[in-house]
Amino acid sequence: MTSLDVTGASRRPFSGRRLRLGDLILQGVAGIAALGSLVLVGLITWKVIEGARLSISTFGLSFVWTVAWDPVHNQFGAGSFLFGTAVTSFGALLIATPIAIGVALFLSELAPRGIRGPVTALVETLAAIPSVVIGLWGLLVLAPLLRDHVDPALHSTLGFVPLFGKASYGSNVFTAIVVLTIMILPIIASISRELFLSVPGELKEGALGLGTTRWEMIRGVVFPYARGGVAAAMILGLGRAIGEAIAVAMVIGSFTGISASLFSPGNTLAAWIAQQYAGLPTPLATSSLIYMALMLLVFSIIVNLLAQFIVRRAARRQGPSR
Amino acid sequence: MSAADVGVLQRPNDRLRRRRAVNRVMELVAWLAAVLAVVILGVVIFSVARRGASALSLDFLTKPQAPFVPTAPQGLANAFAGTFIIVGLAALMALPFGVLIAIYVNEFAPKGIRNVVTLTLDVLAGVPAIVIGIFVYGLLVVGHHQSGYAGAFALGVLMLPLVSRSTIEVLALVPDSLREAALGVGAPRWRTTVGVVLPQTIGGVLTGATLAVARVAGETAPLLLVCSLVAPGTHYNPSQPLMTVPLAIYELSDSPEPADHARAWAAALVLILFILVVSLAARWLATRSRRKMAQAGR
Amino acid sequence: MPRNGKLVRVSLVAAAVAAVAVVAVVVTAGAASARSSSGTVNGAGSTFVAPLVTNWEGPVQQQLGLQLNYNGVGSTGGVSAITTKQVDFGASDAPLSQFNPTCNTCVQIPWALAGTGVIYNLSGLQHLRMTGAVLAQIYLGKITRWNAPAIEKLNKGKNLPGTSITVVHRSDGSGTTYNFTDYLSKVSGSWKSHVGTGTSVAWPTGEGEPKSAGVAGAVRTTPGAIGYVDVYYAVHNKLGLMAVKNRSGKFVLPKGKGIKAAAQLDTHPAKDGSLSIVDPPKSKQYRNAYPICTYTYVDVQKSSGGNAANIKKLLNWAITKGQSYGPALIFEPLPKGVVAFDKKQIKKIHS
Repeated sequence: MTSLDVTGASRRPFSGRRLRLGDLILQGVAGIAALGSLVLVGLITWKVIEGARLSISTFGLSFVWTVAWDPVHNQFGAGSFLFGTAVTSFGALLIATPIAIGVALFLSELAPRGIRGPVTALVETLAAIPSVVIGLWGLLVLAPLLRDHVDPALHSTLGFVPLFGKASYGSNVFTAIVVLTIMILPIIASISRELFLSVPGELKEGALGLGTTRWEMIRGVVFPYARGGVAAAMILGLGRAIGEAIAVAMVIGSFTGISASLFSPGNTLAAWIAQQYAGLPTPLATSSLIYMALMLLVFSIIVNLLAQFIVRRAARRQGPSR
Repeated sequence: MSAADVGVLQRPNDRLRRRRAVNRVMELVAWLAAVLAVVILGVVIFSVARRGASALSLDFLTKPQAPFVPTAPQGLANAFAGTFIIVGLAALMALPFGVLIAIYVNEFAPKGIRNVVTLTLDVLAGVPAIVIGIFVYGLLVVGHHQSGYAGAFALGVLMLPLVSRSTIEVLALVPDSLREAALGVGAPRWRTTVGVVLPQTIGGVLTGATLAVARVAGETAPLLLVCSLVAPGTHYNPSQPLMTVPLAIYELSDSPEPADHARAWAAALVLILFILVVSLAARWLATRSRRKMAQAGR
Repeated sequence: MPRNGKLVRVSLVAAAVAAVAVVAVVVTAGAASARSSSGTVNGAGSTFVAPLVTNWEGPVQQQLGLQLNYNGVGSTGGVSAITTKQVDFGASDAPLSQFNPTCNTCVQIPWALAGTGVIYNLSGLQHLRMTGAVLAQIYLGKITRWNAPAIEKLNKGKNLPGTSITVVHRSDGSGTTYNFTDYLSKVSGSWKSHVGTGTSVAWPTGEGEPKSAGVAGAVRTTPGAIGYVDVYYAVHNKLGLMAVKNRSGKFVLPKGKGIKAAAQLDTHPAKDGSLSIVDPPKSKQYRNAYPICTYTYVDVQKSSGGNAANIKKLLNWAITKGQSYGPALIFEPLPKGVVAFDKKQIKKIHS
């Protein structure tokens, strides 16, 4: 996205020419729009903090890890939801990343010319499917399948690990992890694919010329070159998983507590907010819900800045050789 | 390389065999990953198509929802109308705003401001849709009431960074020589931008706009919070909440009635078809405008 | 003009047409809705009463010439909708005093009466017997299998499987939850101290589903599941329905007779219009009572603006002629004393 700012003279605000009214108007209006975008982000932050203020003043920072959601006794905490968000997002990242990198390698190195285009288009189509449709499929097709076949099989073979406890609900954390995996796979895959394609041909040819196998070339040249970008892609995928509300709400089974088993229902920050859309019984409950939205906002900003930082650092290290 | 070296290479020794085996395994793994991705997509789309096609009918497209009244013909006309209106309003809000931001960033902004604004747009793009929903709820719904306008505003906020970023990219592709040429014959900056640069990018701008529309047409989360208390029947007034297709799917999915599930699948099918068609159109526009750009750059 | 001038012109025209179309629809919609609001009454809220209210829509159109629009978003949604004056009436199974913020400028009118059925999914086992204490243990997570001794004792002779009990409850704010937890608090000290009564509580176990339809759907598709919904959903979806033991020792189903008997417990609404008919005590009068019944309320702003006359017309019809549509949907007609009280409440509504 770096523009080729060769001269830059045609783009400076005041290039020493006669100022026309039209110029001022265009620059003014466009400038206000640009300022508006900054104001918008500030407004979003402010409104969310304002809504959360009651809960922040009541519970403070401990809200973040307290496990409770009791409207009858007015005790609220995001602990169980934070746990659910962490388990589902990192679980999805763990499963999606290797598959995504495999797909990206396939599309950049291995695929025959004819297949490359269509499969790339297919992966991008997967990204375009709305989360409510994936949620619908997850709820009506995937969940019964997992509940009746996969979960019991995993429980009977690996049940000694508390992770694979008894499986009686179709809507559970594991189903949510699978759904999230499907959603973030295309993001990581397409960014990685573009990164692998951008590796300079000479470096790859050089390695192959020294007698390495294709895999050794990938491991020795492509991966180190694209390392930063792939890390950024993973972080962006993680951010997407953290913020996903609808698909998760449809398949995770809404249980506000902490359970060691993947097959028990659970909940995440985003999904809980979506589930309470009709309203909450007390102002403190509403404010606590918005406090959770504030947590999501902070996470998304951190994730975004981290990804940007990694990309910029990698770009700087590679220098102008691109 | 001497003939002796070639001879060495031609004799497969154990180490080379192992390395080749590892390579083959890895290639197989990559193939499997790709097959898995394609299979997943195929299964999802096939499920939607098969279950949705059976519920598609003229009634489905033209009659509104009528819950609890089994004798009335059931459809989702109210949802299609609502999505059309709300997404249309969102585009009306986001497009001019987004293009103006892109113009400022690319044509006028000094480097520092440009970085700040693009960073802001990236941050905005990363904010989860449900948080945008909470924001619009606090801004427009609290103390007032839910409405289609609030829904459109929320979707507009989601569209804004997409439109801006793609417009910025396309504007950056227009060669400076074009601008210099226009300025050289005495055109003022604003005429250069509006009359020379912008028309070059129209294909890219449209691509970005259509992709943004496709993206928000399926967005449910913000609508849940600001536009979900919808009255039955087909309504067109955005100052009241309107039913939308993704919201209909979300609500129908909870129902115990198989007929409701069938309607949810059908709505999902229509939504996917719409997004596919729009994405294809955007891709065609993008290729076309890239070709024009290449020609203009000479 | 540059080479793709034609594309520019075409797309500008298309965009202009699209924009005009959207604006035209919006403007005419505004005008149309202004016209039609003269005969429309909009309401939202409880999914418990939704079957009855939506079945009123046809007769109301025919007999009163009014268009009734009802949206079942749950009791909490209904109360917040009427508090913000977004609708003409809100419907809730829990009294207004249970909500905060609540509608302090509303009248509360009990307008329908039914039972909360306990549903389950065990094929071949009809009308399992259940007591409140055991039900509380199940929802506390203490009893986890269908063939637990406590349940087998109540159902001698029935072959109960060893399936785990999948507990289902509401994930959204619900008047039905209020009714159910109110009952559990009355029959189980353990429930009362650990969880309590409310439209939304800290469920110790189980998964949550949105709306009555969601609970019914989850129980229908999950073998071994247990849940609670308005009895209409149980009957309509042919779900297993439990016979719950009342204080007189009888196992009763949530059908007309059981609801009618329970309604005798409280025939004089409190000043704010609320009534409690949960868990009638041991007595000959309540021998056939179903213990988990509830009134459901309609909440209307005292000053209802231009539509007040239509709202009053609708409500007066609802508490009289409207009640005749109830029994088919397993709602009991209102007792005379309640109807008299309601008529007085309706008079308080003005424009």
